[in-house]
Amino acid sequence: MSITAFGEWLYATPVSTAIRETTWIIPNIQTVHILAIAVVVGSALLTELRLAGVIATDRPEADVLRRYLPWMKVALVVLLLTGTVLIVAEPGRTLGNTLFWIKMALVAGASLVTLKARKSLLRTGDTMAGEVVPEASRSLAWLMVIIWCAVIFCGRFIAYT
Amino acid sequence: MNIETALQKINDLPLSAGIRENASAFPLLESLHVLAIAIVFGTILIVDLRLFGVASHRRSAQRLTAELLPYTWVAFVVAAITGTLMFMSNPVSYANNTQFLVKLGFIALAGLNMIWFHSTAYRRIAEWDEDMPPPTAARISGALSFILWTTVIFLGRWIGFTLETLFF
Repeated sequence: MSITAFGEWLYATPVSTAIRETTWIIPNIQTVHILAIAVVVGSALLTELRLAGVIATDRPEADVLRRYLPWMKVALVVLLLTGTVLIVAEPGRTLGNTLFWIKMALVAGASLVTLKARKSLLRTGDTMAGEVVPEASRSLAWLMVIIWCAVIFCGRFIAYT
Repeated sequence: MNIETALQKINDLPLSAGIRENASAFPLLESLHVLAIAIVFGTILIVDLRLFGVASHRRSAQRLTAELLPYTWVAFVVAAITGTLMFMSNPVSYANNTQFLVKLGFIALAGLNMIWFHSTAYRRIAEWDEDMPPPTAARISGALSFILWTTVIFLGRWIGFTLETLFF
């Protein structure tokens, strides 16, 4: 089954129709989606700027990471759930949209780096406050900030393409 | 000059027309607005939670506030500018949109809450800077801030579904 055919099938399902026809569902789900984005971006900004050596440099990296990683995980799950509802409601708007898939790739990449690479940082021990961060790790941190910004732009532009 | 002619004057500005006529201007403004909101809400949430009694990455509430609020303010200014530009592109419709007007009211309430906090509990912050849980006044302020900003985001998203696009 092609992705277009799947989208059309999904669109015709009773669940999809019900979500679309209950006018308050989509705006409210989008609101929760934006609130969760704010939690992810807030947490990511804090941890990445710490890893980039910009903020809270008097605190160990692992401490900052430990504070915000659980929040990010919860928010990512909320994003996934609310995002799924939005796709089910309007499959044509997302599944057939290149920007949507770029956004998904960026989210998957950023989440993977956060959960795997950043987590290994917790294991390899606590870099002490004030310790010099390797250049590569700093660049990755800045790249992550840019990726999360790009995710937001992709998300908003999905509505226009 | 009454409100209606003022709105019409704003509507007729070259900048307003430019935003209306350039197909990618509005989505770009919206994206920047969402990014700014995410940073405003994300950083305020960390401070709110600390004021409410949820531990942050540092113990001192005062240092946490000093560390994060510059980011909040820069992002708030970006949100205000992009918001103003979106308003300018269609001022009559926004001025007639209930959600938009109530949203402005809630932003004002969030500002009042901030002023109240800074003129009461924050003045004595040296006394409770590292206390957990913080004093009741700080906890109330943190909870109020969270509720008010959540409502602002909720109303903001509803504008997109209720705005009657009228072009003059």
